[in-house]
Amino acid sequence: MTEALTNTHLFGILLTLGLYFGCIWLRKRHKKNWINPLLISAFAIIIFLTQLNIPYEHYTKGAGFIHAFLGPVTVVLALPLYRQRKLLVQHKYSIIGGIISGVAASFISVIILSRIFHLNDVLERSLIPHSVTTPIGIALSNSLNAVEGITVISIIITGLLGAAIAKILYKILKITHPIAKGLTLGTAAHVLGTTKAIEMGETEGAVSSLAIGVAAITTVISATILQIVGWY
Amino acid sequence: MKIFKQLLIILSINFAGELLSEALSLPLPGSIIGMLILLTFLLLGLVKEEHIAETASFLLDNMPFFFIPAGVSVMVSYQFLEGHLAATISTIVLSTLFVMIITGLITQFLIKKKNDD
Repeated sequence: MTEALTNTHLFGILLTLGLYFGCIWLRKRHKKNWINPLLISAFAIIIFLTQLNIPYEHYTKGAGFIHAFLGPVTVVLALPLYRQRKLLVQHKYSIIGGIISGVAASFISVIILSRIFHLNDVLERSLIPHSVTTPIGIALSNSLNAVEGITVISIIITGLLGAAIAKILYKILKITHPIAKGLTLGTAAHVLGTTKAIEMGETEGAVSSLAIGVAAITTVISATILQIVGWY
Repeated sequence: MKIFKQLLIILSINFAGELLSEALSLPLPGSIIGMLILLTFLLLGLVKEEHIAETASFLLDNMPFFFIPAGVSVMVSYQFLEGHLAATISTIVLSTLFVMIITGLITQFLIKKKNDD
């Protein structure tokens, strides 16, 4: 009987929608921004499927429809980029310079740390996009032949951590300029960082949302170059 | 009707991106080429913000929802993490810290330098 209910398109969609809606409701009700609907929903679904012995393929039957929207989601990321174009023109050298150094720092640190911690090749490639916004991170993970699930989890951990430590880190490093603050959050911690940047101020938020797009494009281009020269 | 029209524009651009990626065997993912196409069209005025506004806002405001299936897929790739979980998390944490320190310091330096000129 369960098979008739779970091996359907409806099952995966309803389970995902229900948990996401529940998490959003919980976050609003308790006003806790650290409640991460994506992380909680994904883990709740994994526990649900394993506990009830429901095959993963039953879930993907419906969830595939949701997954298919990653393309359109990536495309519309052009809109916030377009809206902040004036800011980019105004501070082009600082913004481009800051983002390029951040992206380089990300590649170098992932490659070196993977060697230090003896991570296998697949894990290293899966972690390369960890600072990038999720839809682009997933696309990049796939083109690097990495594991998209690990990439997604690494992106969430990065975002939560970046948002949590930004304030104290800026204090220690004496980073005071709103553009430096926003740019760092957007480059390192994508959308979750931007939420924090918006709390800090209007300029911080705008620069952060601009940095998400520019950093993602810079990361994709860098990874593509590494692929062309045969590194990956 | 409005939503259908907007969805049609966004999906067509996404498709054009996939098509370009395939046809020219570009190493860039099609969705990202689609993003660059949309950005170009917006800058050229071929697509106006209001042509896609409501649908784009819906997708952007609810982004995390669309990532849930990809997150769940970790359950079938857990074998890659087995025995490497602590090392993987350490890599993510240290790399994030490093990226923030470098980006923050360099951007602050570049802005200050520009203001001194």
